[in-house]
Amino acid sequence: MKEKPATVFVVDDDEAVRTSLRLLLKSVGLPVETFASAQEFLDQFDPGRAGCLVLDIRMPGMSGLELQQHLNDRHSIMPIVFITGHGDVPMAVEAMQAGAVDFIQKPFRDQDLIDRINRALEKDREMRGELRERDEIRRRMSQLTPREREVLELVTQGKANKVIAGDLNVSQRTVEIHRARVMEKMGANSLAHLVRMVIEAHRED
Amino acid sequence: MTDPIETSARATAHVAELELRAVLDAAVDAVVVIDAAGRIETFSHAAERLFGYSASEVIGQNVTVLMPEPFRSQHDGYLAHHIRSGERRIIGKGREVVAQRRDGTLFPVFLSVGRIASVDPPRFVGLISDITDRKRAVEALRRERDRAQAYLDLAQVMLLALDENGTISLVNRKGGEILGWPEDELVGRNWFTTCLPPELRGDVQAIFRRFFDGAATPDQYAEHEVVTRSGERKLIAWRNVVLRDERGLVIGTLSSGEDVTDQRRRMEALRKSEQLLRDAQSIANLGNFETRLPDGPSYWSRQMHVILGTEPEAGPLSWADYAARCVHPGDRDRVVAAWSRLTSDEQPLDAEYRIVRPDGSIRFVHSIARLGRDAESRVQAAGTLHDITERKNAQEEIRQTQERITQFARLSTMGEMAAGLAHEINQPLTAIATFAQALRRLLATPGAADPEDVELALSQISAQALRAGEVIRRLRSFVKHREAHTELIEPRRLIAELMTFAEPDARLNDIQVRVEAAEDLPLVACDPVQIQQVLLNLIRNAIDATNEASPAGREIRMRMRRDEDGAVEISVEDRGPGISDEVAQHLGNPFYTTKPTGTGLGIAISRSILRAHGGRLAHRPTPGGGATVFFTLPAMPGSDK
Repeated sequence: MKEKPATVFVVDDDEAVRTSLRLLLKSVGLPVETFASAQEFLDQFDPGRAGCLVLDIRMPGMSGLELQQHLNDRHSIMPIVFITGHGDVPMAVEAMQAGAVDFIQKPFRDQDLIDRINRALEKDREMRGELRERDEIRRRMSQLTPREREVLELVTQGKANKVIAGDLNVSQRTVEIHRARVMEKMGANSLAHLVRMVIEAHRED
Repeated sequence: MTDPIETSARATAHVAELELRAVLDAAVDAVVVIDAAGRIETFSHAAERLFGYSASEVIGQNVTVLMPEPFRSQHDGYLAHHIRSGERRIIGKGREVVAQRRDGTLFPVFLSVGRIASVDPPRFVGLISDITDRKRAVEALRRERDRAQAYLDLAQVMLLALDENGTISLVNRKGGEILGWPEDELVGRNWFTTCLPPELRGDVQAIFRRFFDGAATPDQYAEHEVVTRSGERKLIAWRNVVLRDERGLVIGTLSSGEDVTDQRRRMEALRKSEQLLRDAQSIANLGNFETRLPDGPSYWSRQMHVILGTEPEAGPLSWADYAARCVHPGDRDRVVAAWSRLTSDEQPLDAEYRIVRPDGSIRFVHSIARLGRDAESRVQAAGTLHDITERKNAQEEIRQTQERITQFARLSTMGEMAAGLAHEINQPLTAIATFAQALRRLLATPGAADPEDVELALSQISAQALRAGEVIRRLRSFVKHREAHTELIEPRRLIAELMTFAEPDARLNDIQVRVEAAEDLPLVACDPVQIQQVLLNLIRNAIDATNEASPAGREIRMRMRRDEDGAVEISVEDRGPGISDEVAQHLGNPFYTTKPTGTGLGIAISRSILRAHGGRLAHRPTPGGGATVFFTLPAMPGSDK
């Protein structure tokens, strides 16, 4: 299936600001979708779509911070660039702690905003790449036998073959055979590579 | 035949008789000799002249012919009684009796009777002198004396004569009345010890003494107190003269004394009340005046001159001169008009205006006047002039201070709302900047720009610039220092303008402000900025209250409606924690605040603003929790729609 192009989603209650952002992003050739409220955005949110979110931190009804919280709850990976006013630094800090990629104070230079949006889109791309890689690792892991999974767990815990043999009450030779099969099935070229893949697989989405 | 001795004796006797006759006839007094039976034997020439009888007519007749009744009937009895008893009732003494002439007229006589010794039966000689003139003189004297006494007694002054010892030799009835003594009891008493107060006694007596030394003559006029018999003191005004004997030596004093106690008391009371009035006018800085209409003679109290800086000696000014010289030119037309309404239409004058003193300084006065009639019932204007400069200045100072405090509070409220306002200006600025930058990029590649986008950007840039400008304009008009003034305004418009400031602040706090206005609101007369200040303050408080409590009801309602009395009620409802009794008690006390950074002036100033508008500020719980603070503004009569 064909993915939609990465889109800049703008959420701002001020129509003039919203319109001006749409025009600016259009001028640099970025696909834009605008929303007048956080709820409006949330209602049509599709976690599968690539892009980033440009979000006014203060809005009547659901605020920008609340929207961020909702998206986190839904395991969204969409990077957020917050737009803040003067004196919103404490809120901006809160937003960053909750995973926002960046914030920018109104009014702003167009290039500063575009740079931040581009960074966010890059991050989105990276994240989506990682996500795809993780899916592949998990697919490979799913092809392991139960015994091979046990060996993988113990190997990545850093245990020696001899210790693993003791734990599983099998011969050291048997452990070596399982281990070689795990490395092969997982496509790992070193123990370190294998460990990274296991950590990646266990990462929270 | 004739005995020579006898003849000689007879001759001698004859000579004696002739001599006697000559004596009798020469005597001024009438001489009448009667025998024991009362028959007249001798009747002298003087007797003839006195009684109008000739001797021959009366000799041999009873002497009673010379008397009127009742003496006539009684005389025989007296005579017989004397002869029988020898008792001497009249003999040797004289007495006044009434006699009767031949023509019947009566006249007073002094009668002395002698008995001729050693003849038997006895004979009597009577010497009679006419005392008509003397009687008349004595009578005249007596009448004169009585009249003098009557005059003395009639006199409404005390008359007092003292001898050289200070003993009272004469005092009239008025004197007795004044001193509380019967006059006759006073005569003979010492004046100084009887009638002078002890503390004066020495001094007055010393002065009295010096009259007699010739060292001093009494003052024409003197005043001092006397003590009455009952101990009361009276002030007497004296006029004194000294009495001298024929050699010119002072033998006493004569004084007239007038009791001036009451008169002095009245004068003192009058003087005191005049002084009080003058003091009161001076303290109050209030003068009074009377002017006989149309512009007749005037009376001005002293304070009028003090207030106006005019010379009291020059007397009051006429109304025309007053208007021309004292009334400030800027107020003159108004004052003249008020005066003419008073004098022509009898409308009481009640005006505040400025006066200019001769030295050029300006004072504020308040004058009240009305028409009335003077003692001779001529129409006059009477009134007061009150110098209220100090009060005016104090009022002005208070007004300015209040204005500064109000201004300060407004700025302070505005400061609290600054974040919201900054946001409100920042929004259009952000849009403008972004549109401009987008436009620059769109136009960078020739022919690439969509003309619709260019048009959109340009129109939005100008619209947003105006939007920012409007916020700044309202902000300026709200915070700039200004004089209070009143406008007729629709309550809705009041609120609409206010929302420029209130809404961003509320939005910033994630609070929605809902406005509900009734349809039938009349116009209100108010100072819009001051009322907006009150409302902003209430909204600010409502926002703080909302932040303090429930995240559920993040809504503030502003309602406008007509209350039962027809006034416009504007309320601000929040769903915060409400106002506790403890807080309610102090609400509106200056500098009382529950907020960490509050000035404690908001509600106090709101109250005073509303008081000045004839409204009031109050609060009640919001049904379901929270506080509703509301105030009323009187509706403009006749502005109902």
